[in-house]
Amino acid sequence: MKGNMKQKRLRKLFPLLLLVVMLAGLLTGCGDKSEVGASNVKKVDDLETATIGVQLGTTGDIYASDYKETGATIQQFNKGADAVQALKQGKIDCVVIDEQPAKAFVERNRDLSILEEDFVKEEYAICIAKDNDQLLKKVNKALNELKKDGTLKQIIGNYIGDSTKGKQPYESPEGIEYKGKLVMATNAEFEPYEYREDGKIVGIDVEMATAVADKLGMELEIQDMQFDSIITAVQSGKADMGVAGMTVTEDRLKNINFSDPYTTATQVIIVRNGKSATAFDLSESIKNNFITDARWKYLANGLLTTIQITFFAVIIGIVLGFIIAIIRSSCDMTGKAKLINWIMKAYLTIIRGTPAMIQLLIIYYVIFAATNINKVLVATIAFGLNSSAYIAEIVRSGIMSIDPGQFEAGRSLGFTYVQTMRYFILPQAFKNVLPALGNEFIVLLKETSISGYIGIMDLTRGGDFIRSRTYEAFFPLITVALIYLIIVVGLSTMVGRLERRLKNDERQ
Amino acid sequence: MKDSNVMIHVEDLKKSFGNANVLNGITTDIKKGEVLVIIGPSGCGKSTFLRCLNMLETPTGGHIYLDGVDVTSPKTDINKTRQSMMMVFQHFNLFPHMTILENLTIAPTKLQNKSKSEAEKEAIELLKRVGLEDRANAYPSQLSGGQKQRVAICRALAMNPEVILFDEPTSALDPEMVGEVLDVMKELAKSGMTMICVTHEMGFAKEVANRVIFLDEGKIAEDGTPEEVFDHPKNERLKTFLSKIL
Repeated sequence: MKGNMKQKRLRKLFPLLLLVVMLAGLLTGCGDKSEVGASNVKKVDDLETATIGVQLGTTGDIYASDYKETGATIQQFNKGADAVQALKQGKIDCVVIDEQPAKAFVERNRDLSILEEDFVKEEYAICIAKDNDQLLKKVNKALNELKKDGTLKQIIGNYIGDSTKGKQPYESPEGIEYKGKLVMATNAEFEPYEYREDGKIVGIDVEMATAVADKLGMELEIQDMQFDSIITAVQSGKADMGVAGMTVTEDRLKNINFSDPYTTATQVIIVRNGKSATAFDLSESIKNNFITDARWKYLANGLLTTIQITFFAVIIGIVLGFIIAIIRSSCDMTGKAKLINWIMKAYLTIIRGTPAMIQLLIIYYVIFAATNINKVLVATIAFGLNSSAYIAEIVRSGIMSIDPGQFEAGRSLGFTYVQTMRYFILPQAFKNVLPALGNEFIVLLKETSISGYIGIMDLTRGGDFIRSRTYEAFFPLITVALIYLIIVVGLSTMVGRLERRLKNDERQ
Repeated sequence: MKDSNVMIHVEDLKKSFGNANVLNGITTDIKKGEVLVIIGPSGCGKSTFLRCLNMLETPTGGHIYLDGVDVTSPKTDINKTRQSMMMVFQHFNLFPHMTILENLTIAPTKLQNKSKSEAEKEAIELLKRVGLEDRANAYPSQLSGGQKQRVAICRALAMNPEVILFDEPTSALDPEMVGEVLDVMKELAKSGMTMICVTHEMGFAKEVANRVIFLDEGKIAEDGTPEEVFDHPKNERLKTFLSKIL
């Protein structure tokens, strides 16, 4: 018996072992990967036929798209770091991006250089909703004062310039009485304007916004999100202003107002210079990805968030799913309450007919647009609702699979409809659908990886964040994948065990 | 109604499914302690009649009175009525996720507020009566068809009903198991239980029934003692029917 158990456990471990072996293989493969060589973009004109990487929705994106006509290919990335990674791997020829983040990238990658020729010069400003002229006026006034008294210069100097860097951080004047919150939407992946350091969002924009908020006598609250979500967030009132190294463009002006510019920036072109990248060092890489700046914390905290969202979403899903399934099958059985049945059907059709990500965005940006609600709660509700539709249909199929004779037996004994459901139909239905339910939980767990779209630091986003700091794809991605895998395997084992226990009830 | 011995009074009972009229006005009385066997060709409405009696099928017309209470009235608590009118099904319909003991005790404990120990004690007594006390902790899937049907009868008895409806209780059984179920039913009949049985077991009908009804096209075509119905049939259809099955 014991030997048998051991064998079983070994069999369970086998897939994991296999994966580890595969990883090791991949690792050695990484060590001696062939060099991609220098980019063929040497000057701005070369962009005409190049494959250009940009960050989605940035001015770089807008300007680079002009080159489409001449035969250039534009590849839009969610993050600058992703574009840089693609460049390093030879997938694209160059990256068009703001000068300051470009400097940060090049500093860390000796195989990359910035072309001396500037691509385009532009001005950064704060975006504010069209109907919020009052705030616009206040912000402009504050910016003007900050420019005059040198605070703005001091803040920029704290991040740019070798002699001043890190030496003159902005400090809020004492004695301010804060009334209300000023919510700032940003995309904290744009060093040195906004980025994460030790888990906190810092940067020129952050300090500048703090200074503006101080002038307004309000407390600054930062909301981190995708760059292309910022304008929507400001429009919908989720945030009062967008501060994210945002350039004033005509397209943007159609949807949003801008303050006076607070700084000028240059769009530059990053290319591969032909030098070999730093040699791959396993321990160095692990240290860099997980130990430095306690980066493992992003994974740990992300994992907690992921589990939190999944767990509560599962509860919402089960409760709602069972209710819908019972109502649906009761209506089908009795032919009564057609309207309720129709509403339920419509709900299921809508939820199952649209992608979870769109639902998440709709719930966050449309339904909860006006309220300042906790994002994790939003995600939990969104995934809970999404899951409820699938669970409802799973449970309904389980109820339908029960022999009608069981129902008649219950009723003929004198049990009410509800009692019959509770004592006889649902316990059997639950047992029948357990594998499908287990599968739904696994799907749900993985589905939560899109939470990052509303700026939640879940496991996936945690890995992404490390990736954006270290410019290495391998460890962050594989680690995140492994963590998901381990949870899924654990979950499957638990469901399997429960299944077996329930089955034991019926058979010898 | 006039006769104080009448337990169930059926008045012009009608049932149709869409355009198909299955029961075309059945009127009859069933007395306390009576063992009534309903026979008839397939599709004549035997099962439907039985299922209308405890409202598993809602009649389209007519009335059913149990002890003077109109069962068909929406005001009647049908769940309460059913507790004194148990049914035994062709396919047993035991609850597969419960042990035999649980199958027998769930209704008395949940519906009649019996304590668990009391209900279990009674259940064991019932199982002893049908010779299955050693299977109390088994699950239905571990029992043979005949055993399952005996348990199903016990499940009905556990509620101390006034009448038990048997819907072809031996039709789904292997031939060698029919006997054990019929024996239980015979014993039950002797004990004075009121029984209404739809069955094809003519031997059982002859031996145990006080009264036999022949249903044809949703109507009572012949009604009498087993001798009258089997030995001196008047109705032509009944004669044909009997010639085919005897």
